[in-house]
Amino acid sequence: MQIINIQKVGENVINALRDSKGYYKLFCYFIKNLLVLKIAPIRSVLYKQIYFTGIEAINKVSIIGILIGIVIITQVTNIAGSDTILIGKILTWTVVRELGPLFVAIIVITRSGTAVTSELASMKINREIESLRIMGINPVDYLIVPRIMGITLSVFILAFYFQILAIAGGLVFSSILWRIPFMYYLKGIFSALSISEIAVSLLKSLVFGLLISMVSSYQGFSVKASITEIPQAGIRAVMQSLFMVFIFDGIITLITFL
Amino acid sequence: MIRFENITTEYFSSLSFEIKEGSVCKIIPASDEKKKNLLNIITGIKEPISGKVFLFGEDIYSMFEKKYIKLFHRIGLVLENGGTISNLKAWENITLPVWYHKGKKPEDMEGRIIGIFEELGISRSYLGELMGKLPGPLPIHEKRIIGLIRAMLMEADLMIYESLFEGLSPELAQRLITLTEKFHLEKAGRSSVYITTNELPLKDLKADVVLRL
Repeated sequence: MQIINIQKVGENVINALRDSKGYYKLFCYFIKNLLVLKIAPIRSVLYKQIYFTGIEAINKVSIIGILIGIVIITQVTNIAGSDTILIGKILTWTVVRELGPLFVAIIVITRSGTAVTSELASMKINREIESLRIMGINPVDYLIVPRIMGITLSVFILAFYFQILAIAGGLVFSSILWRIPFMYYLKGIFSALSISEIAVSLLKSLVFGLLISMVSSYQGFSVKASITEIPQAGIRAVMQSLFMVFIFDGIITLITFL
Repeated sequence: MIRFENITTEYFSSLSFEIKEGSVCKIIPASDEKKKNLLNIITGIKEPISGKVFLFGEDIYSMFEKKYIKLFHRIGLVLENGGTISNLKAWENITLPVWYHKGKKPEDMEGRIIGIFEELGISRSYLGELMGKLPGPLPIHEKRIIGLIRAMLMEADLMIYESLFEGLSPELAQRLITLTEKFHLEKAGRSSVYITTNELPLKDLKADVVLRL
């Protein structure tokens, strides 16, 4: 019995390489054509995307952020005991360096990534992309550029928001449960928070937002003619987004902290 | 305006014709497949096996994509299914191209849009309801009207109507014929092309050229 299908692995690698070339071309197109965001209808699409990806996700990000903060501080207190400075540092490092950008990326992939892919795929199958062309509107300018910008900005801001809530949530929980005033943790938090820590966290959020939006848009546009391709494109978008987020997380971490 | 030179596809062999500026033309393909093929060639979706297509004197298959898309600023194409965008409401569908290309705010077009709907016999009360709907569940004739008004607002030099009157009531078909004829005369040099496999709804339409393919 063949456990590893070599042909399938090879096909997946070739598809991934082909898609990576497509993502790179899309990224270059996005950077070269940012000025289309000055056109009012395109800005309207951008605002809708920020609302859907950013504002509508605030509740979920808030709840998960606070819960993560509680979980981390509980675990770290269990290990580190009453060393509030160490606890503050670990809480900050974990949330700011890794969990903030990663958790927000996962939330956005599951909410917005699949939605964007499905929407663009069904527009392609229903020939609405052609309808835009015959209106003299470049479909990539109108549909994809504002989505990339909207999702990237949303991930960037949500990650920052998540980190604040996670740290604050953990401290408040700790001060209630163990009656340790959260001021005691502040020395540890401020000693862990440097400009470079914040910059790396923001860089990760930016990169994750770009990756999620480009993968989702590209996979949505890549469908051909059959309606069965829509869920397949959605699955590819989720898996590739997750994969690339984790890869780039590893790369950025290795470059900046080794 | 439109010139086909020796176009060969799976449905046509060495097809050549020209539609001049200011003319009204009826094109009657023998089948739906021929009609779709013809439209795909004109809109650049499907390149012919051989031959050239000129729109406004430019060979569309030797142009860059961006320049080709810009050509459609001068063309109003009303598709059989309306060509609506599913995630935009009827109002947004109608005003999108003018807002995009000319920067005209949707509110500024309200008067003109209401006027056209009234010419088609649609009441203001129903119009208000219609404008807030997504086009998916709308009947086909309403989608076509949305596509038509959208194209008219662009003040195109070349109007192409695909099966605009098919399946409509005689009264509505007649109102649309009157509207499109009036619209044709509103701009000097405007060409109007009606493409349909069923000639019957067009019997009262006066045309300069009739092509049977």
